[in-house]
Amino acid sequence: MYLLDLQGVSKIYGSVKALYGIDLTVEKGEWLAIMGPSGSGKTTMMNIIGCMDKPSEGKVLLGGVDISAESARSLTAVRREKIGLIFQQFHLINYLTALENVMVAQYYHSMPDEKEALQALDRVGLSDRAKHLPAQLSGGEQQRVCIARALINYPMLVLADEPTGNLDEANEGIVIDIFRKLHDEGITIIVVTHDPEVAEEAQRTVILEHGRIARIVENRK
Amino acid sequence: MIAFTVALGASLATAMLNVMLDVGDKVNRELKTYGANINVIPKEASLLDDLYGVSEGHGVSDRHLRESELGRLKTIFWAFNIVDFTPYLNAEARMSGLDADVRLVGTWFSHREALPTGETLDTGMRNMKSWWSIEGDWLSDGDADAAMVGALLAERAGLSVGDAVALESAGARRELTIKGIFEAGSAEDERVYVPLSVAQEMTGRPGLVSSVEVSALTTPDNELSRRAAQNPKSLSVKEWETWYCTAYVSAICYQIEEVLTDAVAKPIRQVAESEGTILKKTKLLMLLITILSLAGAALGISNLVTAGVMERSREIGLLKALGAGNAPVSWLILMEILITGAVGGAAGYFAGLGFAQIIGRTVFDAAINIKPMVIPLVAILVFLVILTGCVPSIRLLLSLRPAEVLHGR
Repeated sequence: MYLLDLQGVSKIYGSVKALYGIDLTVEKGEWLAIMGPSGSGKTTMMNIIGCMDKPSEGKVLLGGVDISAESARSLTAVRREKIGLIFQQFHLINYLTALENVMVAQYYHSMPDEKEALQALDRVGLSDRAKHLPAQLSGGEQQRVCIARALINYPMLVLADEPTGNLDEANEGIVIDIFRKLHDEGITIIVVTHDPEVAEEAQRTVILEHGRIARIVENRK
Repeated sequence: MIAFTVALGASLATAMLNVMLDVGDKVNRELKTYGANINVIPKEASLLDDLYGVSEGHGVSDRHLRESELGRLKTIFWAFNIVDFTPYLNAEARMSGLDADVRLVGTWFSHREALPTGETLDTGMRNMKSWWSIEGDWLSDGDADAAMVGALLAERAGLSVGDAVALESAGARRELTIKGIFEAGSAEDERVYVPLSVAQEMTGRPGLVSSVEVSALTTPDNELSRRAAQNPKSLSVKEWETWYCTAYVSAICYQIEEVLTDAVAKPIRQVAESEGTILKKTKLLMLLITILSLAGAALGISNLVTAGVMERSREIGLLKALGAGNAPVSWLILMEILITGAVGGAAGYFAGLGFAQIIGRTVFDAAINIKPMVIPLVAILVFLVILTGCVPSIRLLLSLRPAEVLHGR
């Protein structure tokens, strides 16, 4: 059984077909990259996989459960329980410390546990910056807080949208290293990226063009 | 800004509610300066007046009230609402220099009455007729050889302050000096006023009075009080208790009749009803200002919170993306606003107390009594205003979709 199974998924906005007939499977523990030019449907696909949107057609099976017909309330629960989201813009709450930003995800999942949140920050090398506000952190550090927040509830799937898009080369390397570690730990990762170097780190790269899968590349690394 | 808006609304509501709850007494006291609102006369005199339209002083009735019982007026259930009272002993008298009889009235001018409760009450004409224009001086109760004459009578008899005048009533003759000439703008301008004891002595009616004017603080009449005024026995036990324990003019009249022997207390309808109307309108005005200020606050809060939610849409979208349901996010925003509103409401309450005192000093020249019941009232109103103000923003918040606010689609 695949962890993620997209069967004939389409997304249509009025007369615009953002995604069309996508068939894709992702195995547990796999690291998959999604690439494509702007307007190719990457974000739409990420929103559907991340349960933030529903397909117009087709099925999305996550852990064997069809989530394509679920209500908005159920999709919220799926996001909370099974998915860790990493954003290009980090989306940290600017009046909360790094530690508190991580604990926000715990709060809505179960209950805040400061010790566990500190461990998550330690996992991304930021335990010494736990009490800092986002404005006091560099872009790379903010992204690492975002990763710690995505990992805190032990998600089934980590979904990263352009995780290195706003980072310099040094910080990009740090983030990629973290993803490598996560992959080694058996965590399933889907990364949407423009960057071929980031995509090459994944086991497979799905190339999207005009809302369709143009090809799937098996990476050598 | 939300706290400031709530503070503004709460301060106006606090000020208006405190003034509204106290305005009854204040307006009543203002209106009391324009005279009595209850007239007490002997039962028989009342009957003759009702049946034949003849009033006391025409030699038809010789029934009187007892001066010694008047202190009992301050022992009724609504004793504290009896502000002033003055007895009158009326008689016809012959005045030197005039062909026709004149009305001689004995009364208290500035009398200290010892009450059955052990307290004393300063009352009399000087309090009751404060709007009279006086040339010369008011009489005092000890002025046994002086009189006050109405302006019309003084003009007709060619009298001025300091003149001597002879009065003869019931065979008793007395030389009196005119101490003051008053202008009341009513039939009283044709009368001669002397201290009650002088009139009692001249007419041979010691310890008796013809009528008593009572000035009482009353509650505006309603359906219940009108029914009770017609026949208190028509009320059920519960209605009767409500009526008796409310300061309706009819209830106060009833209680006066309970303590004075063979007396009938009648509201002076024009005064009582005017007081009621003014009071109702003043209270209505205060209520409207309160409602408008709270509605303004609700609109302000609505705009500010909606703007706040729009400004924080990314944060709210993020919380939803992390798995927060609509209810927890709505509750989070609502709690933030309620806490802000509570701070603003508390500040507004104290500011409102200040506004109330300014209104009291400016309009009524007296402090407004702080009513503790305003605290829960304002708290509930602020809570409701915040909830109402939050409705549009909560609706906006519920419509936010994480994919749209985080990824623009």
